[in-house]
Amino acid sequence: MVKVVLLCNRATVSLQGDRLMERSDPTKVAILGGGRGGRALLDLLHQIPSIEIVGIADSDPAAPGLQRARELKVPVTTNVPDLISDHGVGLLLDVTGDPEMEAYLHAHKLPTAEILSGSASRLLWKLIQHESKLEAELLHSEKLAGIGSFAAGIAHDINNPLQLILGLAENLTVERDLAAVHEQARDIIEAVKQTSAICRDLTRYSRRASPHGNVMVSVNGKLDEALKIARYASSFHDIEMIKHYQSGAAVTGNPDELLHVLVNLITNAVHAMERRGGTLTLETTLLDGQVGVRISDTGCGIAPDNIPEIFEPFFTTKAPGKGTGLGLYNVKTIINKMHGTIAVDSQIDKGTTVTLTFPNAEPVGQGWPS
Amino acid sequence: MNEFKSGFFVGGEACEGRVLVVDDEPDIRKVVKMTLEKSGYEVIEAENGEKAIDVINSGENRLLLDVVICDIRMPKINGAEAVAYFRSNYPRVPLVVLTGFPDPDMATSFLRQGVVDYLVKPVQGETLRSAVARAVEQRELARL
Repeated sequence: MVKVVLLCNRATVSLQGDRLMERSDPTKVAILGGGRGGRALLDLLHQIPSIEIVGIADSDPAAPGLQRARELKVPVTTNVPDLISDHGVGLLLDVTGDPEMEAYLHAHKLPTAEILSGSASRLLWKLIQHESKLEAELLHSEKLAGIGSFAAGIAHDINNPLQLILGLAENLTVERDLAAVHEQARDIIEAVKQTSAICRDLTRYSRRASPHGNVMVSVNGKLDEALKIARYASSFHDIEMIKHYQSGAAVTGNPDELLHVLVNLITNAVHAMERRGGTLTLETTLLDGQVGVRISDTGCGIAPDNIPEIFEPFFTTKAPGKGTGLGLYNVKTIINKMHGTIAVDSQIDKGTTVTLTFPNAEPVGQGWPS
Repeated sequence: MNEFKSGFFVGGEACEGRVLVVDDEPDIRKVVKMTLEKSGYEVIEAENGEKAIDVINSGENRLLLDVVICDIRMPKINGAEAVAYFRSNYPRVPLVVLTGFPDPDMATSFLRQGVVDYLVKPVQGETLRSAVARAVEQRELARL
């Protein structure tokens, strides 16, 4: 049994007033090092509107980061001096792992450029401090990347009612029984409502999290909303659902961000049970002024070696291109922001339980506006 | 419409063939049944791959079933597993895949396994009827 508890022991890194830098132009960034770290940074940063990648350099023209850059139409070079002498560059990200590189950069960079050296995950951390909007952008880009995996679920959920609508409408062109005509027309109306609900849920989910937003949120309501979204991302067939909701469980936070956290955790739980099915348990509790949210699966579990790393940015056990490695990183960032904690309890082949704890938004026993 | 098939009518009763529709959505089963019954097919239903296997293994179905129309994304035994089961245990029963999610790789794999057609929802009645008619023809030939 491996148990890790991550407490909210540091304040959120971004959006702190004194670091807020309002920029109208994007920050121009050069990436040095085209290995896995360089590639991960490139994949992430190229999606972010407030950052412009002016180029990526590696001595190996076949480095994975350079290959990816060619696909993304980002300039590549094997010549570091060329890249760092580019005039607009404001930030040099050095993920070469070469101890001499940092010294070289300091000696040769333009005076206006800043340097960050280290591993990709460390650089991301520093970047967030550097670029105030980045955290929100990270969250949004990870969410959009996830929506790609909804395609099968959305197609299934839209094409089924469409099949009903088409079949009934075709039949109506020849149907003579008036009662049947009425019934089928009503079925068509229901099917259209069902289809438009899918679009409504998804557009709500895919929008950018509203920036202002610490309000009281019903955790039970958000869990149900998250379940609906998570059904698109993964097949819930062969999964038994158990819900134990404590009424009155409410927390303070941004509702869109909390939804994102819950969708993420439910999707992970369902993915863990993908091949053989299992039980998904959603539980909320109210205890000693604390709101608890527990999401448990009976799936494959997390390898003990991986547990300390699961909240690290870019850590993923999914195949390249399947996961951004930012899901749980963003989850933890949001939970920290809400002054909460996240605990992971996992056993290989038995399952995983993720427990979130938040300060209660309201005195116990009172309701909240739905 | 069944005007082209009038030769198959027996004693005024339509008898175009027995079709098993496998789909977890009752609405889909209902509408496929409605479409095919109007053309004279007898339609039986199963809500997932497991039930479909039960149906084909029960009683006269192993002899009388002419076509299986099968969804892919289903609980219990999914469509891909059901198709594999039917192909290996009942190779003479033609299959038509009717899915909500077009996937070229899957389509190729099914057609290689000898599936008569791979249809993507929503499919028009005419397309469905023509696929089923081809499947029934194949079944008739296999019986000769």
